[in-house]
Amino acid sequence: MAFVAKKCGIQLQPPSIILIYEDRLKNNVRKRIMPVRNFSKFSDCSRAAEQLKNNPRHKTYLEGISMEQLQKLHWLLRGHLEGQSLTQSLEQIQLKETIDPEENLNKLDDKELAKRKKIMDELFEKNRKKKDDPDFVYNVEVEFPQDEELESCGWDADSDDEF
Amino acid sequence: MANGRPGGDAGLELDQEKYDAAENVKIICLGDSAVGKSKLMERFLLDGFQPQQLSTFALTLYKHAATVDGKTVLVDFWDTAGQERFHSLHPSYYHKAHACIMVFDVQRKVTYKNLSNWYKELREFRPEIPCVVVANKIDADMKMTQKSFSFARKLNLPFYFVSAADGTNVVKLFSDAIKLAVAYKQNAGDFMDEVLEELENVELEKKGGDLSDKEEDGPEEKPPST
Repeated sequence: MAFVAKKCGIQLQPPSIILIYEDRLKNNVRKRIMPVRNFSKFSDCSRAAEQLKNNPRHKTYLEGISMEQLQKLHWLLRGHLEGQSLTQSLEQIQLKETIDPEENLNKLDDKELAKRKKIMDELFEKNRKKKDDPDFVYNVEVEFPQDEELESCGWDADSDDEF
Repeated sequence: MANGRPGGDAGLELDQEKYDAAENVKIICLGDSAVGKSKLMERFLLDGFQPQQLSTFALTLYKHAATVDGKTVLVDFWDTAGQERFHSLHPSYYHKAHACIMVFDVQRKVTYKNLSNWYKELREFRPEIPCVVVANKIDADMKMTQKSFSFARKLNLPFYFVSAADGTNVVKLFSDAIKLAVAYKQNAGDFMDEVLEELENVELEKKGGDLSDKEEDGPEEKPPST
């Protein structure tokens, strides 16, 4: 690929996505400013991100940037339009990227479930011991005695008496 | 009911008669969406797995050859491929199963609470087969291993703290489940299941369904496997 994305960020005024990329053919590093048009605090960030990614003028440059990242950057832009500080917006994004432990994932459609799984997969990959890791052990056995003295998980309290 | 054979669709290997053969066992996985059932399978089998996707049945099959007491056992692990989202599984999923692995996510209470529903459904179809309870994702919060979970204890079921990510107790869990399945099969002790099967036959006869079909399709009585 001729354009290799290096960094992607935002410019608040006018709302734009900024891309620093390397042009392999010309062997130089360039900055591209892509204004996000017709964007307001009511805009749908995932649609706006999709539009930008598929924009005929920008799409070859954005190949190395994931939809998730573009969406996040749009959330930041929208947060600013809503009058939030950067910290507030980042916190909100963080929240969107964590799993609500109370949510029943059985009830979600494929797309929403896939989103949750992706978030969980990040932790899985982080903690994962791979077969090729030098310290990989196939059979790891650890005993966790379940005696009655342990503190309850707190999930048994109500309504489980039928068992 | 409990008739998972795919009509004339020959390419799909869903012949459940084979589970009557002495060397074959069927182990099913139950549990909510995203508790890590497939990840556990993959961690146990590593590269040795070639899952078969049977999308018509929303089912993934993992085949594994194990050795129990010096004998080779061919294990089919059944994984739900998302059909758990319809809240109950097709009866053929339970049909002829010899053991069950029931999984929840230690990070999500709702998956623990739902164990009782899964267990209820399991017992409707397979009143006697061994069942183990698995608390997965302990790597995400090791403190959970210091807590008591009474679901398994109340029902007297084996309980495992595991992590599909770092591998803790995964191999132990599956080896135990295979041993339990083989032992269950050898003792052929599922009297209840036989009775239920009898009842099904009676019902089929009563309904007077297409008799010529029944010849091929109905669960035939068999002498107890040797």
